[in-house]
Amino acid sequence: MITTIRTKIKNSTVVGLWLMTIVVSLHSCQDYLDVQPQDKLSGDQVYRNIYDADAAVVGIYGKFMGLAEKYVILNEMRADLMTTTRNSSPYLKEISEHNVSANNPYANPKDYYEVILNCNDVLKNFDIMLANKKFTQAQYNQRYADIGALRSWVYLQLGIQYGNVPYITDPIENLDDVKNSSKYPRIPFDQLLDKLLTFTTTLTYTSPYDSANTLNINVDGYNTAKFFVNKECLLGDLNLWKGNYNEAAKHYKTVMETSTNSGTDTERYDNYRIKYAEVATNNDFAVGYVRYSEQDARSLINNNTQGWRSMFARSRDVLWNTEWIWSLPFDSKFSPKNPFIDIFSNRSGLYLAKPSQQAISLWNNNKQRNGFPYDARGQKFSYTVIDGDEVIMKYLYKFLNPVTLNPADAFQTGGDWFLYRAAKLHLRYAEAANRDNKHKIADAILNFGIKAAYDVPGTIDVTNIQKTKDAFPYDFDARQGDFPFYRGNWYRGTGIRGRAYLERAPVVGDSLISIENNIINEDALELAYEGNRWEDLVRVALRRKNPAFLADKVYDKLNKEGNSQASSVRTKLMNVNNWYLPFTWQ
Amino acid sequence: MISLKSKYKKLFVGVLTIALVSCSNPWEDRQNNGDANLSVNLSEVITKKTEVSKFGALVVQTGYDKILSESKSYTVFAPTNEAMDQVDPAKLSTPEALSLFVANHIALTAYSSIRTQASIKIKMLSGKYLEFKGNTLISDATIVTADQYAKNGVYHIINKALTPKLNIWQYINSQVNSSLMSKYLISLKELNIYKADSIAKSTAIPGAMSDSLTNSYLRNVYNLNNEKNSYTLFLMENDGYTAEVDKLKPYLTTPKADFTTTLTSYFTIRDMAFPKAYLPNEIPSVLTSRFGVNVTIDKTQIIGEPIILSNGIIYRIKKVIVPLVDRLVTTKIEGEKNSSFLPTNLRSKIFYRDKQDPLGINYNDIMVQNPGVSLFTLNYNSGNLYSTTYKVYWRAINDVQTNVFQQRLRIGGVVQADGTIKDVIKLFDYTDVAVGVYNEVYLGDFTLEQAGNIDLISLIAANTTTNGNNSLTLDYLKFVPVIK
Repeated sequence: MITTIRTKIKNSTVVGLWLMTIVVSLHSCQDYLDVQPQDKLSGDQVYRNIYDADAAVVGIYGKFMGLAEKYVILNEMRADLMTTTRNSSPYLKEISEHNVSANNPYANPKDYYEVILNCNDVLKNFDIMLANKKFTQAQYNQRYADIGALRSWVYLQLGIQYGNVPYITDPIENLDDVKNSSKYPRIPFDQLLDKLLTFTTTLTYTSPYDSANTLNINVDGYNTAKFFVNKECLLGDLNLWKGNYNEAAKHYKTVMETSTNSGTDTERYDNYRIKYAEVATNNDFAVGYVRYSEQDARSLINNNTQGWRSMFARSRDVLWNTEWIWSLPFDSKFSPKNPFIDIFSNRSGLYLAKPSQQAISLWNNNKQRNGFPYDARGQKFSYTVIDGDEVIMKYLYKFLNPVTLNPADAFQTGGDWFLYRAAKLHLRYAEAANRDNKHKIADAILNFGIKAAYDVPGTIDVTNIQKTKDAFPYDFDARQGDFPFYRGNWYRGTGIRGRAYLERAPVVGDSLISIENNIINEDALELAYEGNRWEDLVRVALRRKNPAFLADKVYDKLNKEGNSQASSVRTKLMNVNNWYLPFTWQ
Repeated sequence: MISLKSKYKKLFVGVLTIALVSCSNPWEDRQNNGDANLSVNLSEVITKKTEVSKFGALVVQTGYDKILSESKSYTVFAPTNEAMDQVDPAKLSTPEALSLFVANHIALTAYSSIRTQASIKIKMLSGKYLEFKGNTLISDATIVTADQYAKNGVYHIINKALTPKLNIWQYINSQVNSSLMSKYLISLKELNIYKADSIAKSTAIPGAMSDSLTNSYLRNVYNLNNEKNSYTLFLMENDGYTAEVDKLKPYLTTPKADFTTTLTSYFTIRDMAFPKAYLPNEIPSVLTSRFGVNVTIDKTQIIGEPIILSNGIIYRIKKVIVPLVDRLVTTKIEGEKNSSFLPTNLRSKIFYRDKQDPLGINYNDIMVQNPGVSLFTLNYNSGNLYSTTYKVYWRAINDVQTNVFQQRLRIGGVVQADGTIKDVIKLFDYTDVAVGVYNEVYLGDFTLEQAGNIDLISLIAANTTTNGNNSLTLDYLKFVPVIK
C-alpha cells in the first residue's frame, strides 16, 4: 500500500514534471514568437486605405533609389565619357573594358528584380484593394499607372544592359525563382520592348499625379511632384527604341507642352521650353557671362544659383521646375545613402570615376559664340580639376562648398539622382523627329530653336513666320512680334546649343545621319554622366544596324588613355551579343 | 518502477546533453586553428631562429624586440648570419648607427612577396624608402626565404644586409671640406637668394616641411633631403665649378660683390639637380632643369662610379659646361597675369580671354576694350633678370576690333606720392597693334645695369578717351637676354 502510494506520488510527480516542461517550453515559445514587431507591419496592417497605397508607392521609390549607382555606372562607365581612376576596383575596370566577370557586383541583375517583384506585389494588391473598394477607380488608376510605368522603366534598363531577360509580371514570393529559366524564360530585347509597349500603352492615366493628390506633398523639405516617373517620357522612349518615331514624338511633345494651358506666363513660356538666356540677371539655365563682359572668361556665370550649373545645385524652386521632369533627392536625413559622393569626390569620397579624355576633347572641339575654344559645360561645369584630378561635378554641387570645393559638411551628403530633364526631352524629341523626316525641326531644336530657324530677318509682321505650320506633334508657334503683337508659346525657346552659348552644329552630307550624329554628340555634351550615354549609343547602333557606331566610340575612349585593350575591345563590340552583360544571379 | 526509472534517466540524459552542448564555446575556439606560427610574434621568431641569430641579437640590443612584439603588423627583412658578417663594422659602431641599421630592416604593415604591383617603394622604420622589386629583390638584397609569418607580420630572410645609405643632402654635408660646390650648397642655410627665403627661414616651424625651408637651395630648387622622392645631382669638381661660376658673373652684377658671387653660384648650380634618379645608361643626352635650361652632360667627364644614395644618385663630374645662350633664360610675362591695373575701378573693362589662334592653338590673353578713359594701364612685374641688354617682344592680338590701335610699354619706375613715375628704365614708343596679327612683334631693347627684379612693368593705352582707340591687348611679353 505504501509502495503503491509512493509509486503514485512518483508517477504523478514525474508526469507533472514532464507536463510542466512541455507546457513551459511550448508556452514560452508561443509567447516569444507572437510578439508584434514594433518597426514592421504585418500582412493585415497594409493595403487598408489610400494612405497605405501611398505608403506602398513611396516604399517602391525608396527601393528604386538603390538602383541609382548601378544606373550611372553601367550607363556611363561602359560608354565613352567616363573612365576609371587610380582608385577604381578591378570590377569597375572590367565594366570600362567590357570584360565583365561573372561575379562582378555591378553586373548583378538581382537589384533590378527586387524592385520589379516589389512592383508586381504592389500592383496585385492595388487590384485587390480596388475589388474590395478600398479606394476609388481614379485613385487606383493614378497609382497603378505610376508603379506600372516604373516597372517598365526598370525593365527597359534591364533590356538595355542584359539583352535577354525574363519578363515577370506576376508576384512571386521567392526572388531566386527569377533564375529559373524554365519557369521564366529569357526573352530577347526586341520582344521585351513589344511587351513593355503593350503593357505601358494600356495604362489609362499618363499624366503626373494631379496637384490635389495625396502623393503630391512636401516632405523633409522636398516637394514630391517630380519624384515619380513621367509616363509620357517613358512611352516616348519605348517608342523611340522600337522605331515608332511619330508615336515617340507625340509622347515627347505632350510633355513639352505640359504648361501650354497654364494661366501664368512664366509657366507657359518657360516650362520645358529650353528658354533663352536672361542676359541682364543671369537667372536662367544658360551658359552665360556677366553682361558686356562676354569676352572675359572670368566673368562666366559659374555658381550654384545662376546659369547652367545651377540646375544641378539649386533647390526645387520655380526655375528648377522649368527644367526638371524626374529627379530623386538623396539627403543625409533619410535612406538610402547618396552613392555619388563616394564615386566622384576626390576630397571626401573614393574617386572611382572621372571624365575620359574622349569626353574632354568632345567639349573642347566646340566653339562658343564669344570665340572661346571650348564648351563651358565641359571644363567649367560638368567636371573641374581639383588637386590635379579631373572631378565629375554634376553630383557634387550640393555637397562641396561652391568656392573652396571642399566638402561643406562631410556629413551632409545631399545630392540628386538626375533622371529626366527638359534638355533630354528635347534631344529625344529631335531624334524622333529627325527619323520621322522632320529634319528642319530636329535641327532647330538641337541648335537655336524654332523661332530662329523659321525666322525671316528684317520682317516686322511675324504673322506667317516663326512657326512650323505643321500638325501635332510638329506644331510650334514661336512668334514674337509687336506689330501686330504675338507671343507664341515657344517664343522663348532657344534650342540646346543656343542655351549653351555655342556655335551651331553644321549639317554635313546626308541630313538624316548628320543631324542624328549631331544630336547624339549633343547628348554627350549636355547630359554627360546623367546615365544616358550607353543607351544612346546602343539605340543608335541598333537602329543603324552598325555596331561600329558604338564600338568606335568605346575604342576612342580606351585608345586616348593608352589602354592596350582598345583594339580587342573594339573587335569584341563589333558583335552585338557582346554589348550585353552576363545575366549572372548572385 | 523500472519503467519510471528509465524515464528519469531519459530526462537526465536530455538535460545533461543540453548542458554539455551549451558548455562548448565556439567563440573561445575561434582563434585556435592549429597554426603554431600564429601563436608567436615576430620578435620571438627572429630572436630564436638560428639562421638569423646575429641580426636577432642586434634586434634585442637596440630594443626593437619590444616593437616587434607589439600587436601591429610589421615586415622584417632579416639578413642571414653570413650577410651580417659582411657588414662594415663602422656602420654599427655607435648605438645610433646600430639602431638605424636595425630600423632599416623593418617596415610597418606586412608586405608579402606576392603583390599586384611589380615594384613598390616601402618606407622602413628608419625613414628611408627601399624598393621592393618583383618577389625576390629588396633594394640590392635577394630574398632567400620569403613569406615567413608570425602573428604580427611577415619576415623574409635576405642574403645581404640593408645597410642604411646616406641621402643626397647628408652626402653633401659630408663633403663640405673638399668640395666647393658642396660647401656652397650648405652655406645657403645662412645665405638668401630671395627675400622670401629669409622669411621662410625665420618662420619655419620645426617638423613638417621645415627642412625644405631652412636652406635656399632646398626651398627654391629641390628638397634633396626628402627621402620620398628620387633625384640626380651632378657634383662638379672645384675647377670646373669655379670656371662655370665666373663665366656667369658679368650677368649677375649687384651692388655687393659678395652677393654677386652668391647669386652667380646659385644660378650655376640650380641647373645641376633633376627630379629623377638616372642610372648612367639612363641619362638623356639633354636634360632640362626646372628653370628651363637645357643641360648637356658629357659623360666622359664623370669621375668614378655613380654614388647611389637612399634618395637618388650623385655623379661626381669634372665640369658641366652650359653655354650662356642656354643658361640665360628668356623671361616671359603672360598678359593675363597682371598684378594690378589703373584706373582701379574699371575691372569690368578687362577681359581675360580663352582663345584659339588660326592654327588651332589655344592661348589665354588679356584685352581691355571700351574703357572710356585714356591711358588705361596694366601692370606686371618680373624677377630673376640679368644685368644685360634685353630684346623685347610682345604678342598682342587685335582680333575683335577692325581698326588698328596703339599701346606702349614702360619698363621700371617708382610711383611717387604725386602720381608721377621716376627712375623709368625705358619707355617704349607707342606701337601699332595691327588687326589679325598673331606673330611676336619686336619693340626694341632695354639694358639693366644690375641683376634682380623689376617691380613695375606697364602696358599703357593711347592717350585718348575715344573707345576703340584706347584698347589694350597682350598675350605675352618676352625679354630675351643678349650675350655680351
